[in-house]
Amino acid sequence: MAKEKREIEINSRADTLPLMGPEVRPWPVTPPPSPEECMKVYEKRKAGEFGKFLEDHLRLEYRFDKPEALQGVRIMCMGMWRMGNKFASGLLSELGAELINVEPPSGDPLRELTPFGREEYMLKDAATGTPCGMDFIHELRNAQSITLNIETPEGREIYKKLSMLVDIIIEEYPPGYLDSLGLGYRHLSKLNPKLIYCWIGERGQWGPMKDEVSKYGQWMLDPFGMAACSWVHNTGFPPDQCPRGGKGGDPVRSGVWLADYVAGEQAANSILAALYWRDCLGNGLGQFIECTAAETLMDILDFDITWYGFNASIKARTGAWDPNLNQYEWNPCKDGYMMIGGQTDRLWYRIGMCIERDLPLFGRLIHEDPLLKEMAARNALQALIKTYTLTTKWLRDINRIEAEQKLMEYEIAAGPVLYIDEVAEFPHFKYRPWVNVIDDEQYGTVMYSESTNAYQHRTPARVKSLGRPLGHDNGEVYKKYLGYGPMKLRELKAKGVI
Amino acid sequence: MDWEKEINKMKVCDFDELPGPKSKEELEEMKMPFEEYCKKVFDVGNEFVKPDALKGIRWLSTTMYIFTPHSVTNLAELGAECIKVEMPRMGDPMRHTSPFNEAYLYPLHDTRPMSGTGLGFTNANSNEYYITMDYHVPEAKKLFYNLVKMSDGLTECYRHGTFDRWQQGYRTLMEINPRFIYVWGGGFGYGPKIFGGSYDILGQAHAGLASVTGAHEDFGGHATKATNWCIDWYSGSQITTAILAALYWRSKTGLGTMIEFSQVQAATRCLGYTAPLYGKFGIVRQRWGNWDTQLCVHGIVMTGKTDFPDAINPQDKFESRYVVLSAFQDADFQELCNIIKKPDLFSRYKTHKERVGAPAQIEIYKAIEDWAADKTRSEVVRIFRDAGLLAMPVMNDREVYESEHFRIRGTVRWNDDPLFGDVLIQSAYSAGLMSRTPRKHKWLWRPVGADNVKIYHELLGVPMSKIKELYEKGIL
Repeated sequence: MAKEKREIEINSRADTLPLMGPEVRPWPVTPPPSPEECMKVYEKRKAGEFGKFLEDHLRLEYRFDKPEALQGVRIMCMGMWRMGNKFASGLLSELGAELINVEPPSGDPLRELTPFGREEYMLKDAATGTPCGMDFIHELRNAQSITLNIETPEGREIYKKLSMLVDIIIEEYPPGYLDSLGLGYRHLSKLNPKLIYCWIGERGQWGPMKDEVSKYGQWMLDPFGMAACSWVHNTGFPPDQCPRGGKGGDPVRSGVWLADYVAGEQAANSILAALYWRDCLGNGLGQFIECTAAETLMDILDFDITWYGFNASIKARTGAWDPNLNQYEWNPCKDGYMMIGGQTDRLWYRIGMCIERDLPLFGRLIHEDPLLKEMAARNALQALIKTYTLTTKWLRDINRIEAEQKLMEYEIAAGPVLYIDEVAEFPHFKYRPWVNVIDDEQYGTVMYSESTNAYQHRTPARVKSLGRPLGHDNGEVYKKYLGYGPMKLRELKAKGVI
Repeated sequence: MDWEKEINKMKVCDFDELPGPKSKEELEEMKMPFEEYCKKVFDVGNEFVKPDALKGIRWLSTTMYIFTPHSVTNLAELGAECIKVEMPRMGDPMRHTSPFNEAYLYPLHDTRPMSGTGLGFTNANSNEYYITMDYHVPEAKKLFYNLVKMSDGLTECYRHGTFDRWQQGYRTLMEINPRFIYVWGGGFGYGPKIFGGSYDILGQAHAGLASVTGAHEDFGGHATKATNWCIDWYSGSQITTAILAALYWRSKTGLGTMIEFSQVQAATRCLGYTAPLYGKFGIVRQRWGNWDTQLCVHGIVMTGKTDFPDAINPQDKFESRYVVLSAFQDADFQELCNIIKKPDLFSRYKTHKERVGAPAQIEIYKAIEDWAADKTRSEVVRIFRDAGLLAMPVMNDREVYESEHFRIRGTVRWNDDPLFGDVLIQSAYSAGLMSRTPRKHKWLWRPVGADNVKIYHELLGVPMSKIKELYEKGIL
C-alpha cells in the first residue's frame, strides 16, 4: 500500500514520466527477504551449514573484494548496430578484461534507438548531456569509449597501431569491409601474430547467403539471423490455436534480439578457448574466428535439422506446449499464464496428485489411462492434448499465485509468466539480486540485469559501469597506448580522424 | 669473415620477424579476394588436421537434460576430454525425450536393446565418454574421488546441497584437488528459492522473456514460448564462458573455484532495455509480435500466397508465406513505399522517429501486407532484393538443410557416426569457425555406460572382474 495518496492528472505521456523512477519509487518497493529467513529455508532441508557456506562465499556483495579472472587481457570492440559484439565484449569485460569500444566520430547508431522513437526514454550522460538509448547503455559494460574514423588514412594507421597493443579484436562490420581497408585479420595478424580476431554477423562473411548491405547502405540486423536457421518458423502458436495475420497464429521472432546474444556468447567462448590455446598451451599464436547469429542459434536449435535428416520431418510451431515432454508447457489461467514442468514418472504423478485434489476428473482420466503411464509415450500429440485440456480446466478458475502455491506444495518446477515489474519484485530475484541498480557516474541510478557469472567463489564477474558517452575516453586511451597528448588529439579531431 | 660478424652484431631483429609477406604464398594470400581467403583459413572439412584448443583438459559431467550438459559439450567440441556420468541402466532422462515420441536411435543400454535414446538428447552431450555410477554406494565413492583427482573440473545439476550431503560437493572435492573447478548449474542458487526446480521453460516464463515474445495482447496474442529450449542452451554456453575464464585464471594461480550459475537469471540478462526502462520510468515492456519496438520497417510480414501450394508436407504447403523485411533508414523506406505503391506513406513518415511510433507501425505493416496479399513469399523477396533492399524468406528445417550456404560453410553436414551411421548434424561447427583450433564433432552420443571399461579399467585401473561385479550389483 502506498504511504500517502497522490493527486495525479495524466493528459499525455509526459505527465507519466515523473510518477516513477528511482527517486520517487526506489527499487525494491518491498524489502527483499532477509538472510535469516533464507537460513530457515536451508535448515528445513538440514542444509543450514551448507547454505551458510554458500552465502559466505558466493554472495554478490563480495564480488568487489575478489580478483578478476581476465585481468590483463585487452579487447578492442569494433562493432556497431547489433548486439553480438556488445554481448561478447560485455561477458569478457565483466570477467575483468579491459575493453576499448571503438566508434566512428558520429557514434554507433544503436545509441539512437529507443522504443517507439520516444526520446523521453533515453538517458542523458553527465559529461555531455547527449541522450542515449537504453539498449546501448545496458549492453556496453565496463568499457572505455573512443572514437576513430577508419575511413581516413591517418585513422587506419592509428587502428593498426592499436591492433598491435590488444589481445582480442571483436569486429562487427559488413563482410569484407575492414579487409578492403587493409585492416582485416590477414593484415593485422602480420603486425600482431598473437592477435585473436573474431568477426560476428548475421549469416556469414562468406558464402552464397553472406550478410548484405542494402543499396542505400542499410545493415542487416536480427531477426535475419533468427529467420535463416528455422528458429522463427518453429516459434509461435499454430493457426489452429490462434488466427493468422498478426493475431497470434504466425511464426514469431523472439521479443529480443536473441540470435545476436547467442552469437555473442559463443564468440566469447571461442575467444577464450583461443586465448587458452595461445597462452596456456604455449603456442603464442592468435587466430581468426567467425560467429554468426544464424549458425550459433542453429547450434542450439535442439535436434531440429538432425530430425529432418532422420525422417524428413519439418518441425512445426506448437505454441506454449513442448512437443517432446509431458507435462512441459504454460496454459492460461485466471490472471495470466501458468507454467508447469516435469517429465519423469515421479514428477508426472506429483503434478497429477496436485491437480486431482481439486479436479478428481484429472485423476481418473489421466492416471488411469494406460497410454499415459510410460514416460516416452506421453509425448504423443493426442496425449499432450488430453493432458493440457484437463490441466487448463483446473487452471482457468484459479490465479497464478494460487496455482503456484498448490504446485509448490508438491515441489514441482512451476511458475507464472512474469512481466518485468513482477520479475523485479520477485523475492528470490531481489534477494540475489538479479535485476540490480548501479549508481552510475554518467547516468545516475540505472536498473540493469546482473551479470550471470557474478556468483563465484574466487573470480566473480562484476558490472563497474554501463554505457559511456561517445569518445569519453579518447584522452586517456590515446595517451596511454599511443602517447598522444591533448595537442595531437585536437589536431586529429580537427582533421576528422577521431 | 669479419664483416659478417660485424653485421651479426648490428642486427636487432630477424628478417623473418619483420612485418609483411615473407613468401610467394603469403603474398598471394594478401592478394586473394576476401571470400577466398576466408575459405582458405577456415578450410571447412579439414578440421581434424588442426589441433584442439583445450587439449589436456578433462571434465566431468554429472548432469541431466540440456542446460548443464551443454556447458560441457562446448568444452568437448573445443577438444577437452569429457566424461558424462549417468545413473546405471536408466541414463539421463533426456534420453527418453523425443518429438512426439517418434525418433529414437538404438540401443539405450546393453540390457535394453529394444529401447532407444530419443532425439531430444541430440547435441547436448556430443564427443563425450559415457560411464555410469550410483553415487550412494561407498564402493562408488572411491572411484568418484579418483576421477576428481585426475580431472580439471566438474559440472553438476543436482538440487543444491545434495552433492555436499553425499560428500562430493565443492567443500569436499577442493580438499582432494585444490585445482578443481566446480560448477553448480540450476534454476535459482542460494536464496529463498534455493531448492526450487527449474527447466528451460521456467526460465522463459519466470524471467520476463515470454512476456515480451509473441503478438500483443490487444491483437489477440499470447505470451509465446520458444519451441526450442533456448534458455537451457544459451545459459549453458554462458557457464562455458565462466569455466574458460576460470581455467585461464587457474593457469596463473593454480587455484580452482566454485561457479554457481542460475539459468532463470540468464533469461533476464538478454532483455536489453527492459530492466532499465522499468527502473527509470516504471514502463512495463509488452509484446510487439513480429515487428521491432525500436526500428520500422524491420519485421516479419505475411504474404497472401504460399510458395509451395502443392507440397505434401503442411509446413511447406501452408507456412511458406512469411518474409523478413528491413527498410528502416530513410532512403530504404522511401524505396519500400514506392514498391508497394504508397508514396504518400513516405511523405507522412519521412523521419524514422515518426514511423517507429506504434500507430505508424500498425499502418505501415498493414499497407505492406495488403500489397503482398496477392503475392507469394518468393515474389516479395525477389521484388525487394531486385530493388536493392534487404529481405529474406523465413526458412524452415528443409530449407536450412538444402541451403547451399550452410553446406559450403560446413555448418550443416552429414557425419559418419561410429554407432549410428550417417547422422545429419547442425551443431559444433555452427557454434563458430576457428582458423587454428576449430571445433570438431566426433560422435553424437553413445549408449548408457558404453565407456565404463575405458574409464574405470583403463584410466582408473579397476580390474575387469571388479567392474563386472559392480555392474551386476547395479552400481555401474
